Amino acid sequence: MTDSLLTQPANLHTADVRSTVIQTGTIAPMPSSAKHFEIADICNALNIGLCVVNAARQVLLWNHWIAKHSGIEEADALNLPLEQVFSEPVSPAFLSALKNCLAHKLPVVLSTALHRTPLPLYHKIEPDLQQARMYQSISMAPIRSQHNEACCLIQITDSSNSIKREKILRSHSEILKKEATTDGLTDICNRRFFDAHYEIAVADAKRQKYPLSIFMVDIDFFKPYNDHYGHIAGDTVIKLVANALKSQLSRATDIVARYGGEEFVLVMPHLAQNIAEQFAEKLRVAVFDLAIPHIKSPLFHQITISIGVCSGIPENNDNLLNKADTALYQAKQNGRNQSILLSLCESKEYLEQ
Amino acid sequence: MNSLSELHLDALAEVFSIGAGRAALSLSEIVGDEVRISVPSVQLINAEDINAATLSLNSGRFGAVNQHFSGPFNAEAVLLFTEEQALKIVSDMMGSQMAPEELAEFEHEAMCELGNIILNACLSAMADILSFTLESSLPHYTVASADEILYKLRQDSNQPYVMVLHIDLAIEKRHTAGNLVFLLSSASLTNLVSHVDQFLGKLS
Repeated sequence: MTDSLLTQPANLHTADVRSTVIQTGTIAPMPSSAKHFEIADICNALNIGLCVVNAARQVLLWNHWIAKHSGIEEADALNLPLEQVFSEPVSPAFLSALKNCLAHKLPVVLSTALHRTPLPLYHKIEPDLQQARMYQSISMAPIRSQHNEACCLIQITDSSNSIKREKILRSHSEILKKEATTDGLTDICNRRFFDAHYEIAVADAKRQKYPLSIFMVDIDFFKPYNDHYGHIAGDTVIKLVANALKSQLSRATDIVARYGGEEFVLVMPHLAQNIAEQFAEKLRVAVFDLAIPHIKSPLFHQITISIGVCSGIPENNDNLLNKADTALYQAKQNGRNQSILLSLCESKEYLEQ
Repeated sequence: MNSLSELHLDALAEVFSIGAGRAALSLSEIVGDEVRISVPSVQLINAEDINAATLSLNSGRFGAVNQHFSGPFNAEAVLLFTEEQALKIVSDMMGSQMAPEELAEFEHEAMCELGNIILNACLSAMADILSFTLESSLPHYTVASADEILYKLRQDSNQPYVMVLHIDLAIEKRHTAGNLVFLLSSASLTNLVSHVDQFLGKLS
């Protein structure tokens, strides 16, 4: 609305506003639509504040919007210097902007960002009620009166709603961003996040030639657990295992994600092979120590995990994920509740380190 | 007479320094701390010769505040900062009122105001000193890549001249370099030159 007013100043030409006449210096043909309306009615119907002051800063126009939000009637504002109209002080930045606009005849803007509430305007005027001023966005445009007097048209918009809207949108986008990359059940990273992260991690390790370790983790005898204890108990186990795995991570570069069903995957850069081996053991023990009873687990009678690890400096078409999966399969074959590590290339120097 | 001599450029640099001083004063009032703005150099270039180096445009995105000035001469004025610098300036200007993640939503509005202050100050100083009056549109802020900006600067064949002011802005010890670019038509440049000549004539 602000823009359309400014880009089509013709709307403001030639019509009378009570005793005040607004006219810009240029002679423009009167648009035919302007004949149908009193400019004063349009000013008063606008949902923005309009005020015109002359070079002495005396108020020549005071529309309904500004009367409503200042609690000051038009009759009480007209012909007074603007800063004396209000009972509260007007911000110094507002006054110097006004002075500049009048002196240089150039348009001026006051942003909400830098001046929250330059004028004492309120959403609702209620006497005896302390309330916060309305957030304002203000623009000032030089115009000439019919008496060729340099004046300034001040337009005020309420920016509270746009600030509120921005905040809501931002918090929504943050929630959505988090939801898009988080697993709903366990609150750890989801498969989508892992897929993107894994590609970047492998590319980085390849380029900078450092070892990367991928851990594939699977809960042993999970289907019999679900069949015996039910799906809700099964979900609880998945959550507990996810938490146990997550609690073992301490570096910002490491991630744990739910790969699918009862499978998890961890990505850890800069880990020598022997450390990766020890870490897999820590993961196994962390879950074992949860001591979740599982009478259908033929070997341990409690929840355990198997882990397949692949560690090494990736090159060319090395597929760490496939190799970790192969290692996991071997751990299962070997009797579960254990980890197996396969290195990418046995002859690499870092193995000896 | 479509060129500016060294003397003209010196005179304009002087004029814009006065404008920069006015802008710094206005900004200091808002920031509540010292703000310094200097205009180390003024250059006139053919629009077709303008490139990333003349405007020190590296990669990345830029914030541009546009205002169209009209009067004895017409000029499209563009104030350019990198987007990163723009955010830092806005952050400095707002002080501790706001968390960094909240800044982005205010960047456009605040940069419009900053650009408006600097552009109005430089142009009004020029109008005052060279004795003419200018009108202007309201400021408009856009974020664009260096390529997009250069494309826009070059594409308008009606405005073949580009006047570039390098600007140094210091808010609370942080120095930021930006550019103020004026796009001028041949007729506008001729008028500008004649106004500068009149001014120089009065001096001598």
